[in-house]
Amino acid sequence: MLIHVLNGLVYGGLLYLVAVGLVLIFGLRQVVNFAHGSLFMLGAYVAYATIAIAGFWIGLLAAAIVLALLGLLLDRTVFRQLQDQDPIVTVLVTFGLLLVLEDFVRTVWGRDNLTVAVPQLLQGTVDIAGASFPIYRLFVIAAAAVIGAGLTIWLKTSRVGLYVRAFAADPVTTGMQGVDTERVSASVVAVGAGLAGLSGAIASPLLALSPAMGGSILIESFIVVVVGGFGSFSGAFVAALVIGQLQNFGIVFVPSIASMVPFLLMMAILIYRPEGLAGKAS
Amino acid sequence: MSLLAFRDVDSFYGRAQVLRGVSFEIGAGERVAILGRNGVGKTTVVNTFLGIASLGKGEITLAGKPSGRIRNYTAARAGISVVPQGRRIIGALSVKENLVLGSAVDRKGSWTLERVFNLFPILRERQDTSGTALSGGQQQMLAIGRALMANPALLVLDEPSEGLAPVIIDELADVFVRLAGEGTSLLLIEQHISLVRRVAQTYHMLSKGAVVESGTLAELTDEQLKRHVAV
Ligand SMILES: Nc1ncnc2c1ncn2[C@@H]1O[C@H](COP(=O)(O)OP(=O)(O)OP(=O)(O)O)[C@@H](O)[C@H]1O
Ligand SMILES: [Mg+2]
Repeated sequence: MLIHVLNGLVYGGLLYLVAVGLVLIFGLRQVVNFAHGSLFMLGAYVAYATIAIAGFWIGLLAAAIVLALLGLLLDRTVFRQLQDQDPIVTVLVTFGLLLVLEDFVRTVWGRDNLTVAVPQLLQGTVDIAGASFPIYRLFVIAAAAVIGAGLTIWLKTSRVGLYVRAFAADPVTTGMQGVDTERVSASVVAVGAGLAGLSGAIASPLLALSPAMGGSILIESFIVVVVGGFGSFSGAFVAALVIGQLQNFGIVFVPSIASMVPFLLMMAILIYRPEGLAGKAS
Repeated sequence: MSLLAFRDVDSFYGRAQVLRGVSFEIGAGERVAILGRNGVGKTTVVNTFLGIASLGKGEITLAGKPSGRIRNYTAARAGISVVPQGRRIIGALSVKENLVLGSAVDRKGSWTLERVFNLFPILRERQDTSGTALSGGQQQMLAIGRALMANPALLVLDEPSEGLAPVIIDELADVFVRLAGEGTSLLLIEQHISLVRRVAQTYHMLSKGAVVESGTLAELTDEQLKRHVAV
């Protein structure tokens, strides 16, 4: 039982790190980024390539940094231009970006599944309540918790965090206080993309790497964002944990409909509580 | 030195023109009012130097320098702080965070969180509540405090009396007079004429997006007021 909860936490933690990037990019650029799952995928591949040369930890770092830089580039060339566009345009453009990134990875690394080994330090299992549980999975839970907490502290206590929250609530007023909102937005998109890359790297030993691997995490993190109430960080946190658990218990107890459960939850939320779990009822 | 000057400014929202050839200038230590009926373009004057409305023909100088391309931070960094119409307090932030947001430009000066709290003690008491949980008058104090946190050379007040009780308006008038006494220049946009007469020295009357009269408040007659402002 506890093992299932832990497995749910592994998935929920990764979902949170991806979903929070979507929330940030939507909050500041009003862009729903369909390419976000591809950033996760690209992070896993960057980690794969770097780990082969420089080892696991440098691989994680490289994935975060490369994807953050790509985030800056995308913000300048794509998201900034899209921020005042019709939502349908942003969907089409970021969906196109998804295809471009997948093709890029297919060209560089091929279409075969690749695997990343668990680092020496984190191999093996531990006994938890009589069952064995991989140490690497515990590491994923801990990493997601630390990164999530760090992000929250950054948003709540730093000056840039204050600008980010202010800008997400009222860009015009934030701008007239003298905040360089373009710069704040660019750094936040970089953070969101970097987090997606980092979570792809962290997940890489658990998954088979393929150019299409971003698809399911994208959809599930969209569900997290919707269930959490669009644009809410705490809502996304709760929703990621709930969906991680649902997904996992679903696979264990009702495998035939497990993949539907998150969609059912999203539909129920959209119909009966469209402001999301954390949103205020209007 | 000129803190803010408009020279023959035309200004637009999209393709809709609002300001037509507006010129005025505010120097250090001056207290200037912009008057006019609802919808004549008073707020648009502010929105133009904030970059919210777009500048067509004409020139704006901020702190004596041509504005160039106006970015959202241009005016604030040139020492111009705005207390916007409707106050625009951010409810997602606490009272204290709203104030800290005001210090984003990092200009030197004597205004600190502590000094703003001394000016408006209620803000100290309620510093951890949401900015929009305050009453209208308190929110106006917060908006003024937020603007002061930037240590402005010129404080722009867009209809600060709107929706407030007469006693609060009197209190705010005292604050404005005090700020002026300390050397802060003021641009006051108001329809509450007794507030204007207490605070400002000179005025520009706007009508249909153009300045139709300028002068000192001492010379401004009730007759002229009736013609251009609903009293
Ligand atoms: N953001 C905007 N986009 C388009 N048109 C606008 C915008 N803001 C104002 N307008 C229009 O510009 C004109 C001038 O508006 P403005 O807000 O400057 O008037 P005002 O003198 O400040 O009025 P009030 O006393 O009611 O505040 C009005 O016709 C208004 O409808
Ligand atoms: Mg107005």
